[in-house]
Amino acid sequence: MGLILAWQIAAAAVNDKLLLPSFLQVAAAFSRVWPTILIEDLPTSLLHFLIGMAGGLLVALPLGMIMGWFRAADRILDPIVEIFRPIPPLAWIPFAIVWFGLTDTAAGFIIFVGAVFPILINTYVGFRNLPRVYVESAKVLGATRDLDLVRYVAFPYAMPSIAGGIRIAMGIAWMCLVAAEQFGVSSSGLGYKIWSYYYLHQMDYVLLYIVMLGLLGLLIDKTFRYVVEEKLLKWQVGLTQ
Amino acid sequence: MRKFIFIALLAAVVVVTMGCISSPEKSGNATSSEKTTVNITTLHVGYQPSTHQIAEMVASEKGWWAEDLKPFGVATVDEKVFQSGPPEMQAMLAGALDIAYVGTAPPITAIAQGLDAKIVAAVNINGSDLVLRPNVTYSGPKSLEGLSIGTFPPGSIQDIVMKKWLEDNGVDISKVQIHGMGPGDAVTAIEAGKIDGVFLPHPSPAQISLDGKGRSVVQSGEMWPNHACCSLLISGKLLRDQPALVEQIIKTHIKATEYVNAHPDEAAQIYAQKTGQNLAMVKESIKSWDGKWISDPTIQIPSTVEYAKIDQKLGYINKTLSKDDLFDTGFYVKAVA
Repeated sequence: MGLILAWQIAAAAVNDKLLLPSFLQVAAAFSRVWPTILIEDLPTSLLHFLIGMAGGLLVALPLGMIMGWFRAADRILDPIVEIFRPIPPLAWIPFAIVWFGLTDTAAGFIIFVGAVFPILINTYVGFRNLPRVYVESAKVLGATRDLDLVRYVAFPYAMPSIAGGIRIAMGIAWMCLVAAEQFGVSSSGLGYKIWSYYYLHQMDYVLLYIVMLGLLGLLIDKTFRYVVEEKLLKWQVGLTQ
Repeated sequence: MRKFIFIALLAAVVVVTMGCISSPEKSGNATSSEKTTVNITTLHVGYQPSTHQIAEMVASEKGWWAEDLKPFGVATVDEKVFQSGPPEMQAMLAGALDIAYVGTAPPITAIAQGLDAKIVAAVNINGSDLVLRPNVTYSGPKSLEGLSIGTFPPGSIQDIVMKKWLEDNGVDISKVQIHGMGPGDAVTAIEAGKIDGVFLPHPSPAQISLDGKGRSVVQSGEMWPNHACCSLLISGKLLRDQPALVEQIIKTHIKATEYVNAHPDEAAQIYAQKTGQNLAMVKESIKSWDGKWISDPTIQIPSTVEYAKIDQKLGYINKTLSKDDLFDTGFYVKAVA
């Protein structure tokens, strides 16, 4: 409430919709387009987000586990990862078009580029930080195959780190939505509408969709934390509280 | 209670900070009536790397902007290049540009949102092509149903001209997949074979044709004869405070336009050097396009006003814009007198 009040007071002081649309102007814009947001924009953006995140998980989890478990794999793959990691998702747009056309997959690819590295790095770190004594204890108890050690020891140990990586990845993926929806892959979507209203200089709608992006990102994060941290990783509670 | 005091203090800090920030245009307007007008010493010019706007580049490279505007106190001409009209208009809305070479469509939406500026001269008419991939058959507008076409975003000249032409020819627009995007993305998409065609301003059609990735099937002058394309837009502040400077800007623009029409090869050379684009491609573009470099704004009035009506019908703007809202032809009349 305080933030909304500060926003409205600041906008009233600025008195320029181009510089800072007020909360009331943004609320009015919402009242005009909320059905379109719910029926068209949100499903489109969620589709792009899910394609990107699914791709990120499918690539980053196995790769991070392999790099974290096998030193040789880490030595070979790490330089390649570090070359690609700093490249911003935006730079991949021309290739997204060439490889995937103007499709939802192309948008998902841009989000994938943003999501894959946090998951990969955190998975790698989780595996790499596994204390030697856990592995030796498991071997004593009969888990001698790498597959068993990964399944029963390393992966559960690394879960909090992996969950942290996925949480960061979701935030970055959601941010990449704006870039992912700007090159003609769809005529709806939260990111698409930001560009669309920007071209029409309707800054109240631009800010509305920015706020919607933020609120939905918060909802996704809270949902993830509830499911993963409070349910799947419930055992962690006893460690710190 | 403490939380409330903290939030109230934060709000007060924000208000005091924001109160110190105001639109440059607004603060200029607030003081100009009270003080003597201060002539600008730096002219901020916006333009796009398109063969449509060669006149701006010729005027720049020949030194005419600097030479002709110096007597009016302009010591520096600061050029900013934009890939498309909307960010150029956003910059003008923010007070960062004094004059803009820009398509006539972006100023319509910007002026509807409060941009204080007027179109004072024309830059070109026509000049866009519908390009289809070599293996895509074309047998008239109806044959476009079922195809995917990339063009500039909704509200742009290309979007309006193409959709009007399709409707006038009985084409069901819902059966044509129209993708709104920038020129770079559209050229990439057609050259990668990911869309069937594009409708873009030159020189992109020439580039695609020379790359062997498409051929022009319809030119925009055939879709809408003599439709307005690029124009010269000047800020309201400059129009009011420095009318003599505005008149000279138009004279320089006319001089550059006449020079381009008389020396197209040299103009192509200047354009290629300034933009880094391939000279052979630029020459081919100028040879093959149906565009015309002009300066008389009255030629553009009918189609521009029609664009504004279409924008309003589509909900892109929420008011009716008349010729006088968009144009000020008085300066051009004085410049050619």
